[in-house]
Amino acid sequence: MSSISETAPQRLALQVENLHVSYGSKRAVDGVSLDINESEIFGLLGPNGAGKTSTLSAIEGLVKPDSGSIRIGDVDARANPAAARARMGVQLQSTSFQSNLTIREIVRLYAGLYGVALTRAGIDDLLADVHLEEEASKRFSQLSGGQQKRVSLLIATIHSPPLVLLDEPTAGLDPQARRQLWDRIERLRDIGRSILLTTHSMEEAQAVCHRVAVIDNGKLLTVDTPAGLIEKHKDDPRVRKAAHGQVTLEDVFIGLTGSDLRD
Amino acid sequence: MTFAIEMSSQPSAPSINPPTLSGILRALLRADLTVQLRNGRALLLTFFPPLAVFYGLSTAKRGAQLGGAIVNVALALTLGIALIAILGYTASVARDRELGVFQRLRVTPAPTWTIMVSRLALQILSMLAMSVVVLVAAAVVENVRLDPAAYLLTLAMVIFSSAVFLGVGQALVGLIKSVDTVNAVGRLSFLPLVALGLFAHSTIFGTTFETIARWSPGGAVATLLGGAMQPAAWSADTWWALLASVLYAVVFAGIGIRWFQWSPR
Repeated sequence: MSSISETAPQRLALQVENLHVSYGSKRAVDGVSLDINESEIFGLLGPNGAGKTSTLSAIEGLVKPDSGSIRIGDVDARANPAAARARMGVQLQSTSFQSNLTIREIVRLYAGLYGVALTRAGIDDLLADVHLEEEASKRFSQLSGGQQKRVSLLIATIHSPPLVLLDEPTAGLDPQARRQLWDRIERLRDIGRSILLTTHSMEEAQAVCHRVAVIDNGKLLTVDTPAGLIEKHKDDPRVRKAAHGQVTLEDVFIGLTGSDLRD
Repeated sequence: MTFAIEMSSQPSAPSINPPTLSGILRALLRADLTVQLRNGRALLLTFFPPLAVFYGLSTAKRGAQLGGAIVNVALALTLGIALIAILGYTASVARDRELGVFQRLRVTPAPTWTIMVSRLALQILSMLAMSVVVLVAAAVVENVRLDPAAYLLTLAMVIFSSAVFLGVGQALVGLIKSVDTVNAVGRLSFLPLVALGLFAHSTIFGTTFETIARWSPGGAVATLLGGAMQPAAWSADTWWALLASVLYAVVFAGIGIRWFQWSPR
């Protein structure tokens, strides 16, 4: 993983301040604030129900926050959601597309929705780039899990957004498909995109993320680089108790969020 | 600028021009039309039942008691419109919601109303196509031939009638999240909504029942379509049926849009 230059001036691709989201009486996000720099891959770690997807959903405009501010670059996402959505690409946790459309037609639909003019040859080039040229005439449901994720990522980035949000992008993938997707995510970063991803995988967080935040019960518990988190929390008694030898990122995660099973 | 080119190039300024409304609608309509044409079951549901009902009413011994050939055509159209709206439209919306199709569309710059308008426009187009087929069949089989103005008026009233049943369908699928429940309630509500309309012009079950039937959604639509096919006989009742149809459409669609659940959870 290449690191962000310490000396380069950082501009913010995403700025979330004091975000609160509730579902009825249940508070899903409780005062989350986070900044993501340009060309940064930022990971949001948390157990099930911690508030990861709710945070992403609020940024995406799928749920209305109770309070807080969200800025995508220089756009206030709450005041101008359409302009904000034009500046971000989204891969949802479980994505599906119209079942009767072929992959080529799905790409054409989403290109149209983002105002990207594409010819059939242009679409086929895009599909070839993600090694799906043979699947262009298939339905989404006929693809493997890895192929579906590649289609989703292609569509999330079809309009070259400055910010890409990926909700558990490698969940359910085999190691080969996961590595391929990591490569794609890093290539996006290399061309200047900022990425916010949620994951349960500590390996993924360490492999691709510049910084990670741990969230639980709707609150951000800590934010740092993966190595920085280990260094910061290695002497925490809860982390020491979770560790079996040298402290790992997973030990920090378990130490901070507890070892109880979540739904 | 394409993804493929970008992935192999140096850091580049992202394209952040918001899409135009016409471009969004064009993309949605094209995709929805493709989906509609590929769905063989929906096509069968669109054309076969109204033709079967028209044939059944035309050949039944007591069919004439429901109001005659024009009323039979109106009833067949009413049934066809209700089938598309209450069974076809609701099932497709509920299924796509369950799959997460709407959530995926909602994270694009497309305004949420365009997602629904595109689907509704396609349904109205289906209903118009079904109406043309039924009217042609009526002309060929039953020699029910109308003036050009009556044909145009009928197709215009088909749009009003579509709004009634699409409004009912929208309310149904807007308020109920589960696919199975939407399908079950759709089937259960279909019969009273449409069957009542069959007796909007018949006193077989007495005048009270006829009055109730006449002002039910199905009855109002049947009266409206029957009036449109005979412009010379357009009466105060037809105007009232038009008003009732508009009210039904506004109330049901208002409920269905206001409380529409985009997510299945």
